[in-house]
Amino acid sequence: MTRPGTRTRWALRWVVGPALLALLAARLGQLGADGRRARLLRSLGVPAGLSAAEASALEVAPSRAAANAAWALGSPDAVKETSKWELDQLPSTEVGRRVQLLLRFGIVDTNPDGQAAIFGQVCAAAPTVCEHLKDAAERETRTRLVAPGNHLPLFFIAGHPHVPSL
Amino acid sequence: MVYGTAVGLGCLVGVLGVPPFRSSLPPSPSPARMALARARVGAVLRQPAVQAPPAAWAELQAEVAMVPQSWPPLVRNVFELVAATRGLTTGGRPDRSRAESLCHALRWSRCDRDALEQLRDRGRP
Repeated sequence: MTRPGTRTRWALRWVVGPALLALLAARLGQLGADGRRARLLRSLGVPAGLSAAEASALEVAPSRAAANAAWALGSPDAVKETSKWELDQLPSTEVGRRVQLLLRFGIVDTNPDGQAAIFGQVCAAAPTVCEHLKDAAERETRTRLVAPGNHLPLFFIAGHPHVPSL
Repeated sequence: MVYGTAVGLGCLVGVLGVPPFRSSLPPSPSPARMALARARVGAVLRQPAVQAPPAAWAELQAEVAMVPQSWPPLVRNVFELVAATRGLTTGGRPDRSRAESLCHALRWSRCDRDALEQLRDRGRP
């Protein structure tokens, strides 16, 4: 019959010891895997630690990429839907981008009343842009590769930007 | 022998990320995980040209798939087109055939190689 002390020593040596060692090895393995993952992501240009503001700015980047791509080549529907999607996610502080998306939305809108309402929103969001609305719209049309929207809409060409909501 | 096996098993569990030795964020698409995926993919999209080893691209692949999961179909398709032109799931090399087929599926008026090359640059956020 084994004595209690011998049994304890046996358990410490063959059960508790290996279990603690396994736990330690698992933790080290996890840290190693996390470090490797972080190194790989850094090689892609992904920062290791992001502040809340940085993360928030980067989070919207994929939807911004979709909106920019749709603006470059997409149909008016694609421009409107991707712009609306980005607008829905955009922090209220990003007024410049909001204005840019609204301008694009207005440029591809075929309804003059709809255009006027959208450009009215631009004016409400950024009065300084509103003063040079035609120039701002023209800058946007230069970055679009397909029609409609790669030329100024009639709204501006007629020479009387009418903004009813002001 | 027992100690060696314990170390080996422990390392394996840790490297594979078996719970509770999983990284701080679960692989399932929880809101926090989705936000992190969007931020990481966004960081890559912002750069003009990314040179990275294949293992790094493989690490990003799951996140690229995760980003548009809850998006409207049209927006998702446009994002996938961007991902194809930027080569986000093909080791950084543009996947031209996929980009072309996605572009045609979107029924955009220009899906030629030159236009898709331009989209690669202009789509950068």
